[in-house]
Amino acid sequence: MSDQDLVVATVRDILSGFEPFTLTPERPWDAGLWSALADAGLTGVGLPEEAGGSGGELADAVAVVATLAQGSAAVPVAEQLLVAGPALLAAGLDLPSPETPMTIALADAVTVHPVDDGDGPGRFTLTGTATDVAWAGVASSVVVLAPAPAGLDGAFLGLIDASGLAATDAANLAGEPRGSLVLDDVQALGAVLTDAQAAEVRARYALARAVQLAAALDQVMSWTVQYVGEREQFGRALAKFQAIQMGLAEMAGEVTAVAALTDAAVQALDRGENVVLAAAAAKVRAGAAVELVARLAHQFHGAIGFTQEHKLHHLTRRLWSWRDEAGSELHWSRVLGSGLLAEGPELWPTLTRVV
Amino acid sequence: MTNSLTLAPAPRSEAAEQVRGEVREFLAAELAAGTFQTGVDTWLSGVDPAFSKKLGDRGWLGMTWPKEYGGHERSAMERYAVSEELLAAGAPVAGHWIADRQSGPNLLQYGTEAQRRAILPRIAAGECFFVIGMSEPDSGSDLASIRTRAVRNGSGDWVVNGAKIWTSNAHHAHYGIVLVRTSPGDPANKHAGLSQLLVDLSLPGIAINPIRILDGGHHFNEVVFEDVVVPGDMLLGEEGRGWHQVTAELAFERSGPERFLSTYPVVAEFARRVGKSSDPAALATLGRLSARLLALRQMSLRIAAALDRGELPNIPAALVKDVGTMFEGDVIEEVRRVIDVTPSLDSPDPLARALAEAQLHAPGFTLRGGTNEILKGIVARGLGLR
Repeated sequence: MSDQDLVVATVRDILSGFEPFTLTPERPWDAGLWSALADAGLTGVGLPEEAGGSGGELADAVAVVATLAQGSAAVPVAEQLLVAGPALLAAGLDLPSPETPMTIALADAVTVHPVDDGDGPGRFTLTGTATDVAWAGVASSVVVLAPAPAGLDGAFLGLIDASGLAATDAANLAGEPRGSLVLDDVQALGAVLTDAQAAEVRARYALARAVQLAAALDQVMSWTVQYVGEREQFGRALAKFQAIQMGLAEMAGEVTAVAALTDAAVQALDRGENVVLAAAAAKVRAGAAVELVARLAHQFHGAIGFTQEHKLHHLTRRLWSWRDEAGSELHWSRVLGSGLLAEGPELWPTLTRVV
Repeated sequence: MTNSLTLAPAPRSEAAEQVRGEVREFLAAELAAGTFQTGVDTWLSGVDPAFSKKLGDRGWLGMTWPKEYGGHERSAMERYAVSEELLAAGAPVAGHWIADRQSGPNLLQYGTEAQRRAILPRIAAGECFFVIGMSEPDSGSDLASIRTRAVRNGSGDWVVNGAKIWTSNAHHAHYGIVLVRTSPGDPANKHAGLSQLLVDLSLPGIAINPIRILDGGHHFNEVVFEDVVVPGDMLLGEEGRGWHQVTAELAFERSGPERFLSTYPVVAEFARRVGKSSDPAALATLGRLSARLLALRQMSLRIAAALDRGELPNIPAALVKDVGTMFEGDVIEEVRRVIDVTPSLDSPDPLARALAEAQLHAPGFTLRGGTNEILKGIVARGLGLR
């Protein structure tokens, strides 16, 4: 059994004790599941032990995130392991304890003022509203990416304690909290990043969503293959109808394409390459697969799959949400299009370097 | 990943990147010298024997084959890089494409020592071209229904009668690998009784009749066999095992980058146009098309890596061809939705010209090498549905 297989088995074992549930403002996350994952050290996977994490490779963290995505786990593990944690470390900042949930806020409308002017990590105050914050109200700390303080180039990355902050109750189509945080002179430890470093943080966020999308798409297809093999109509299993077979083959094409590109982007990240274009491509490709896979999955599950009592919606609603988060498909397709042309109008040499 | 169609990720290959750079330099020099013009779908419609010979001289044909047969013992990943660069440049590679892609590997796998020694070095040199003799006028993708017959005569030779259709570039080719019925059809096992023959296309009794496609171009043919005497030692592989051999061959036929790069020259022209305009809608379209292309490259690279591991991934290959050929056609629609351009074969505008060529070739993309309905059936079998 490889390391990742072991990680997957462990996460699945824990997940088996926590059924997915319909998220509401009263119950916006699975605190019990988080505790179980934290107790097993899984909320620090891929973050170095010397920084307080559990160690392990990027591939291990990706395996945790993918397995939780397949289980519709309502916990901010993708944000913590793949985005906020690595961003803090890249900025030379200390990680909070991985046992407490952390998220990332892309806060273009927040202004940042330095409190001291020391080199390296320093103290700042933040003012403004951070919108569309994943797990707002749930995460106890938030990594904020904001424009650099006036007069400085680059971007600001800092860590705030969100435990005393009020969050609005907004949610995505799956009910996952996506509220706003109002920051009024909030204290932060932070650092100034280069534009390239800031772009990398955004790209990591997009890639994290692509990893979740890839895993969820795969799971939705598996459920559908299983369902059409069991459900009979007109005296035979749905799987025996040619129209169903054609549809599932088309789904398989989408799911396989997403997996191949997302894996390649993760490997590029692991090699330490600039992954902005690779992440953009993975996010766009994964998002593009959602329409067909979710539509056919619901079609083939019939009316039962359209109800809250069936599990399918836990993933299809997340698919419809995740494709537009961490930068919409339109945003990332433009980033990819313009990024490919940045070195000149000849596409091919750049295209073959992306992943 | 839980579905059964997924292959392991392809490892990075420095050697492949090295040869990619060499091919790029060669192509830039050839374009500058005017020895070819970029075209759409040139792996079927761009025949240039002199160009094929140049590739052979540089060691870019028969790349993965043993040196004793004129090959170069390089990896499938290196071969993939060469194929991809040639296609992206729209280079005239149709002369040797089928020989290099599948007939050579077919001979390596099933050929006799004499067959290999006689033919493989010539393919690797870019001097010997092949056609695929599978489809027939009434069979299409349904190869089990083929009727071309070969019977042994008194001296042990094969006498072939029948017709093959959609044979690309038979009028330029030296040999065909022809699927024939060598024993009567068995209703209980419709795949039995088929064999493959290695047929010299200059033999008496062979007529090659052109079939023109929509743009007037000639690459398709009908090849008619009338009492053609094929020497007895030209059986390829085992008598009666033709179906099995053809099935194995299809992994080579279906998985390569030609299954998603046929219309790449349209994308390249589109990118040049968008680069000048910076239109946000066109940039987004370029991004979406590129994301699909990048995913297809990764899928196809995984197959190349699987071939390097000695696997024959038929089902993933069918999947790549299905997804890839859909993309080739979608390129046309996506581009014309965001750029106001009228496709025309006579236009001085290279985008208008590329779009016109692509449009008139497009109906073939999802037919050749097995229709997408056949491919989806294979994928469905891989998913355990049938």
